[in-house]
Amino acid sequence: MLKLFERERLNLEGLSPEQTAIEVRDLNLRLGQKHVLHNINMRIPKHRITALIGQSGCGKSSLIACFNRMNDLILNSQTSGEIIIEGRNINHKKENLSLLRSQVGMVFQRPNPFPMSIYDNVCYGLRLQGIKQRRQLDDAVERALHEAALWEEVKDRLFDSAMILSGGQQQRLVIARALALNPAILLLDEPTSALDPLTTLFIEELMGELKKRCTIVIVTHNMQQAARVSDYTAFLHQGELIEFSDSDTLFTMPDKKQTEDYITGRYG
Amino acid sequence: MGKWSFRRFLSNRQQQSFVISLGAFCASLLLVALVCVLGLIALRGSDYFWPRPVHNLTYTDAAGSAHKVYAQVGAGQVASQYSAATQHLWLIRYSNAAYPFGNQLILETPAIQNLAVAKEAADIVLKDGTRIFAQPISLDLPGKPAQSLAALEQARQQVNALQFDIDQIRTLHLAPIHRRLAELDIRAVADDAPARERLSREFSVWQNRVLELESQLAEFRLHIQFASGEGFSILLNDLDQLNYTGQLSPWGKAGVAANAIWTFLTDSPKQANTAGGVFPALFGTVLMIFIMTILVTPFGVMAAIYLTEYAPDNTMTAVIRICVSNMAGVPSIVYGVFGLGFFVYFVGGQIDELFFGDRLPAPTMGTPGVFWAALTMAILTLPVVIVATEEGLRRVPQRLKAGSYALGATKLETIWHTILPIASPGIMTGVILAIARAAGEVAPLMLVGAVKFAPNLPFDGEFPYLHLDRQFMHLGVLIYDGAFHSQTDMRSASMMFASCLLLLLVVFVLNILAVILRKRLRQRYLRGY
Repeated sequence: MLKLFERERLNLEGLSPEQTAIEVRDLNLRLGQKHVLHNINMRIPKHRITALIGQSGCGKSSLIACFNRMNDLILNSQTSGEIIIEGRNINHKKENLSLLRSQVGMVFQRPNPFPMSIYDNVCYGLRLQGIKQRRQLDDAVERALHEAALWEEVKDRLFDSAMILSGGQQQRLVIARALALNPAILLLDEPTSALDPLTTLFIEELMGELKKRCTIVIVTHNMQQAARVSDYTAFLHQGELIEFSDSDTLFTMPDKKQTEDYITGRYG
Repeated sequence: MGKWSFRRFLSNRQQQSFVISLGAFCASLLLVALVCVLGLIALRGSDYFWPRPVHNLTYTDAAGSAHKVYAQVGAGQVASQYSAATQHLWLIRYSNAAYPFGNQLILETPAIQNLAVAKEAADIVLKDGTRIFAQPISLDLPGKPAQSLAALEQARQQVNALQFDIDQIRTLHLAPIHRRLAELDIRAVADDAPARERLSREFSVWQNRVLELESQLAEFRLHIQFASGEGFSILLNDLDQLNYTGQLSPWGKAGVAANAIWTFLTDSPKQANTAGGVFPALFGTVLMIFIMTILVTPFGVMAAIYLTEYAPDNTMTAVIRICVSNMAGVPSIVYGVFGLGFFVYFVGGQIDELFFGDRLPAPTMGTPGVFWAALTMAILTLPVVIVATEEGLRRVPQRLKAGSYALGATKLETIWHTILPIASPGIMTGVILAIARAAGEVAPLMLVGAVKFAPNLPFDGEFPYLHLDRQFMHLGVLIYDGAFHSQTDMRSASMMFASCLLLLLVVFVLNILAVILRKRLRQRYLRGY
């Protein structure tokens, strides 16, 4: 009986390429003089929620930003090593960033809807890809808003400004905006840290639904949240990956002393 | 002594309020000065439109003989600056048999024997802008001399109808015949060809009709009489307005004033910009500002985008930024000289050589014109637009840019779809400042295209409709010329004040439009940020 409620566990070391969404090999990241990430090696499984935890400044946001090359926007950033998504190394300098970022969506800490209508917000990425037919856009908007569990709340005011929505609604709109592009991977960088507890719960439930159709990587400061929503958890400390295993193991019987200290609140 | 400071006398809190009060005092002083200037312009400007009564004046000249004239008296007394004693001088504008179309006179108070409003005299404005102060006596109608003035309105309608007929014949019949004759000239048709003779016959038929109508017109005359009793007569066709300003009620005066405002706004200048309207100058000013805005906005915005989004953060960029800011401090006449030398002579000269070679040595684009003036103004206002746009671009939140990039947008797409809309209120601020600066500028315009009098508007029904190579009239130049360079009488001086008021209103209206636009952009793109 108990086994029914237990989460299935994959052997992270021996993940086959079909089961892997992101494979990171010897990733090093330097921002200016600062060495932010040291030799990260990990395989993030497909259709699971993977949480990244660690103190502020440990490099978890930088790591997640590597997965869709958002670090390129920072001056003097240097990345070495390989990140393999869908069979290709996205760290290659000839990588098509527009294509990559439409496949790997990202949601930020604070909701950042564009100052246009709800409809136009969701269409933003699709229009960039050159889709102009009204019906295609209408369908995509409805589907994405359904997936982000926002459709019922905004279906009567699709053409109102997105700025009048509440914080939680705005964050779901931003998720819908990313989902409209049908991403294989969704990166969430502390998506609930600016939201109230109830809205946070709502977004967490949404993540459980979303993992059916895409891989989710979430950065969070909140360990309860990591334990609640994630299947796998990685703990980073000062730019190094200390431990990466399924969440139940990591939070109940961590392998490393540092992990235990962190999750029991001895530092951080 | 050396260590004195008001800290000893004032507490910390008092020091703060002292500084604030001092600032408020200076601000209100400036405000008072500004209101005074605006008040003066508004007062003297509106004075131009308000009808003044015609007076019956008797004065003695230097030789001691007395003269009786109809006259308008200046806005008041002018204190002499040459003598210590308060001596009042009267500005008089009068008509008499020697100067039927008006003359000016400055009188001292003792020379005036009698001054009273003359109810019987009228302020007669002719179509060429000149004025006569006289008493209308009688009308000459065709075949019926010396009719009473009761028939004046009817006679004027007849005259207008005749004039309309003449204009119709000129435009509908004579002009096409001219054109066809010119075509024959181009095809080198012989002088005695039948087609040419037929056209000539047709032409003389219509010509005779016009002459006949004109001779009819000449029979409508208005007889008037000056204060001295001497008579004079004018063609009724020359008459534009006739007002008994001494008899008008306030409402009647308001009607005359409204009429004068309408004439001022829609008519061409007459009598070397001392009478008539200022429409060509108003049109030229607004057109020049519009072209300048269209030119300066894209260049300024693109330069600002380069500086904030693309330029590397190094010394070179810093030097460019400083240069841009310093460009705003260059005297505007320098821009005028630059515009004349570079745009007009160099660029315009090159265009002439390339495209209008057949018309050389007569220049087409290589001469001052409205386009070169707008371009010079665009260069002049470029720093203002760049600085304001940069300010707007810097205010775009980083997370919005990140959001756009995260959806797969390239840099250009992010700028076009996200950054520019959000920065648009900042861009509008720059445009507002540019308009305000350009509208008041006169010095560079005089070098690159604004003239005292332009026979044609830069816009008409002739292809290509907008003639950017034409010289144009500008309100600022009109004011400068009218106020300092022309022989001015009191009336044209107050016309300059009225032009000044109009220029202020133009700047005001353009600014209001831009502010409304900016407010709407703000509501659309900046709500919630």
